[in-house]
This record gives sequence, structure tokens and C-alpha cells, in this order.
Amino acid sequence: MRMNQVAMWCLGLVAGVAFTAGMSAPDILWAQESVAIRAMLVKTVPDDPTAAAWSSAVPARFPLSPQVHWPTRILEVTAKDVTARGLSDGKQVAIMLEYEDPTEDPDDAAAVEFMVGDKKAHFAHGQPMAQVEGGPVNIWFWKNKNAKAFDMNAKGFGTLKVQDQQDLKGKGVYQDGKWKVVFSRAVTTGDANDTQFKPGEFINIAFAVWDGKKDPASGDLKEKGSQKAVSSWWYFRVDPQPDYTSYFYALLAIGLAAGFEFVVIRKLRKGPAA
Amino acid sequence: MKGGTHLKPALLMVGCYIFFKFGMPLFTAPLPASLIMLYLMLTFSGIMIFMTLSGTSMESFLGPIFRFISGDGQEGTMKTARLAVLALFPLLVGWQTYTSTASSTVPPAENRTVHPAPPGEFVGLSNPVPNTPENVMQGKGLFAAFCSPCHGNFDGKGPASKGFSPPPANFVDPGTIAQLQESYVFWRIQKGGVGLSVEGMPWKSAMPRWEFELKDEQIWKIIMGEYDGAGQKPRTWE
Repeated sequence: MRMNQVAMWCLGLVAGVAFTAGMSAPDILWAQESVAIRAMLVKTVPDDPTAAAWSSAVPARFPLSPQVHWPTRILEVTAKDVTARGLSDGKQVAIMLEYEDPTEDPDDAAAVEFMVGDKKAHFAHGQPMAQVEGGPVNIWFWKNKNAKAFDMNAKGFGTLKVQDQQDLKGKGVYQDGKWKVVFSRAVTTGDANDTQFKPGEFINIAFAVWDGKKDPASGDLKEKGSQKAVSSWWYFRVDPQPDYTSYFYALLAIGLAAGFEFVVIRKLRKGPAA
Repeated sequence: MKGGTHLKPALLMVGCYIFFKFGMPLFTAPLPASLIMLYLMLTFSGIMIFMTLSGTSMESFLGPIFRFISGDGQEGTMKTARLAVLALFPLLVGWQTYTSTASSTVPPAENRTVHPAPPGEFVGLSNPVPNTPENVMQGKGLFAAFCSPCHGNFDGKGPASKGFSPPPANFVDPGTIAQLQESYVFWRIQKGGVGLSVEGMPWKSAMPRWEFELKDEQIWKIIMGEYDGAGQKPRTWE
């Protein structure tokens, strides 16, 4: 009987551990986008691109392509990639884009895009989906000559609209052939048209950049409107406040496992019941 | 104690793991870690049932394990090994608990279906344009004008391709249009990235919705030019 009982104990323990491990193990074999921007926690969120705090943010670089999804298209763009950083103090969140542009022009511009609400959206301006209903996007848009950022929404090309409630700040600095543009906003705004950030949760993010260089002969801008450099959806999250409950759970599990060992060994040494 | 009593089950577990982890991906998609763990658990359960069918087999299988755990009469290396196992087991459980409850800094996995099912009206469509050298040539011309900025010379390496994720399809790769019927390719060109279903999320395809800019006949010709240029044949059910 003793053998059977202890065997069942062991089987139960191993099965339990294996089941727990199986249910919780990350599915690392599946393809996933491993590059993400994290708004790392700092004491105060800077809205200045030259602030020293940005050096503590881990940069993530994303390639850009010409916008070819929708007319009017463009087949070659100035910015080939954008480096993004994020910072948050738990109440405010800031994202800095950094990209190369050989000339500083009044119409140079940059934008960040998120989905809004529960519905998923196509990365290209939240273009309407043919088979299913997609959602809108929230676009943060900064242009050099405006010296500020605009909070916008769109659900497809040609539907861009500046929000009535502006919750956004933006500032750009041009230095050494590079733009550094910072967008900052409250983590939550209470505006249904805005993306709301839940610390610890990954959401999709996309980027766009315009080289506003003017052709001296024709006066046309090199990139404007839908003619821009774009990225696909990537991932962004606001880092959560430190949470130590995992350590507590781990210590509890260690204690339970050690206690289990003690009971098993005691039972084995005690021998069969009289 | 017979060495095989424990060696065979151990080898079976290791063999199963190698097969699930490295063997299965040769035939199908890689198995998620959770599924591999479930299969190993079932294998282990089977071994335990088999080894405890009779009192004799149970004693030969579990007896040495229990004597090792209880530590009766152990000295030297065995004693050290026992203490190491007893110390490592709670630590392993603690580590597993920590990793399963701690906040992840890795973005969620994207189980995007690369080739989601097309809407019913596109299933079984056949190319109405005769496959003549002239039509193929026209198709290649249209491909060069409309598709090559992203899809390049049928290899998915056009000058506008570098920023998109997923990258534009490489038609020379036998895993793309060679696996698809012409009707499927027609759907993808006509409706583009916004034609994807829920299975195609997140919707990151930059493929234009060409039905607004190209006639159906032009799309069919592009398909012919595409297959010919990439050296592939459309999939058929015959």
C-alpha cells in the first residue's frame, strides 16, 4: 500500500508541475515580432528631445518604406528608418522619434499611429476592411512649421480629422542632419477618440515621416499627404510599476515544494502503516 | 537493480522530446512549447501506468527511486546527489512559478495565418484570359508597372519593400504562388491587404486594393505574367 500511495503522490506532483509548466510556458516557437518600444519608467517625463533622460530609454529601430498602399503613392522616400524611444512616469507617456533628414524644412513632419477602441485597424490609416469591420486609428502628427503636435483620428485615407479635444504635446529639434521629435501625453485621457495606454499591455504602433523639402523649380514638396515614409504595425507598451508579487508567489511555491518533499520523505522513512 | 528499468523510460522521454521539438517541424508547423509539454506529460503517464502494472515491476521501477529519496543508508556521492535533487526541486518549482506570473517584456506572439481562406465568390474561379505569349508579355508589363516597386523581379525585393513587415511575397519561392490557385491570387490582388479576414490579423499587408485601379482582365494577365516570370505553375486540384 505504501508504494502505491507514494507512487500516486509522486505521479500527481509530477503531473501537476508538468501541467503548470505546460500551461504557462511561452510559445516561443511561434513567429513573433520581438522588436518593441517600451516606455521605461522615469521620475519625470521630458517633453524636450534633448533631455538627458532619453539616454536611459532603450532605442528600437524600425525600417520605413514608401507609402504604396493607396494613391497618391510615392516610390522613393528620404527616411529609410526611424529610431523610437519611450519614457513614462506612470501618468505621462512620451515617445521620441529620431530619423535622418539631410535638410531642415518647414514642412518636415512626423507621426505616430495607434489603434483606438476594441476593433483592430489596418496599419494604413485604418483603411476600411473589405470582409470585416475594422476600427479607426489615433494619429499624433507633428509638423516643423506648426511647432506643435495635433491629436487626430482617421478611418481610411482622406478621412483625417483633427480632434476637438487636444491632449497632445509635441516638439522637434533638428541637429546634425537628424530630427528628434517628442510626442507626450497623459497615459489615459478619458477621450474615446484617444488611444488609452494600460501599463504592461502591448499595443500596436506605426510611424510615418515626411521630408518637406521644396523643389526650387516647381515649388512642390518632396513628400506630402499620402506621399510619405511609413512602417507597418509594431509593438509598444508603457512599462508597469514594479510588481513584486511574482517573487512572493515563487517563495510560496518553494515553501510548498519543500514541504511536500518533507512529507514524502517522512512517509517513506516511516514505513508501511501498522 | 536493472539499468534498463530506468534507462529505457528516460531514453523514451528524451526521444519523444527530440521528435516533438525538432522532428515534427520537418512535417508541419513547429509545435508550441505548451503542446510539447502536454505530449510529454501523456508519455510520462503512459510510462508510469506501464511500470506499475504489477507489484514486481512497480518495485523494480519505484523502489530505487524511493530509496534514493528517503536516503536510507546513503553515503558519499549518493548522499550529495540526493541533497542536490532535494534542493533543486523546490528551486525549479519556484523558478517556474516566477516566470509564469512575472510581467512579460516580450510582445505577444502573432499567429497570423499567411494564406487565410478567401471569400466564397473567389473559390474555383478560373483565369478567363487565354494563356498566349502576347497576354503573358502584357501581364509582365503590367507587373513591372504596378507590382515591381515592392515585388521586384518576382523575388519580393523591390526598392519599396524594405520597410514592410511582412515583406512582399517572393514569387520565386515555391512556398508562395506555387502553392496557390490562380483564383486565390486574383483575390489577393483585387482586394489587397484590406481584403484580409480576421485570421490575417494584425492587418499589416501593404498590398493595394487594385480593384479600384485595374480591370479584372489586367489582373488576370498580371497573374499569368507573375507565374511565368517566377518560373512557377499555379496549383490545380487535378
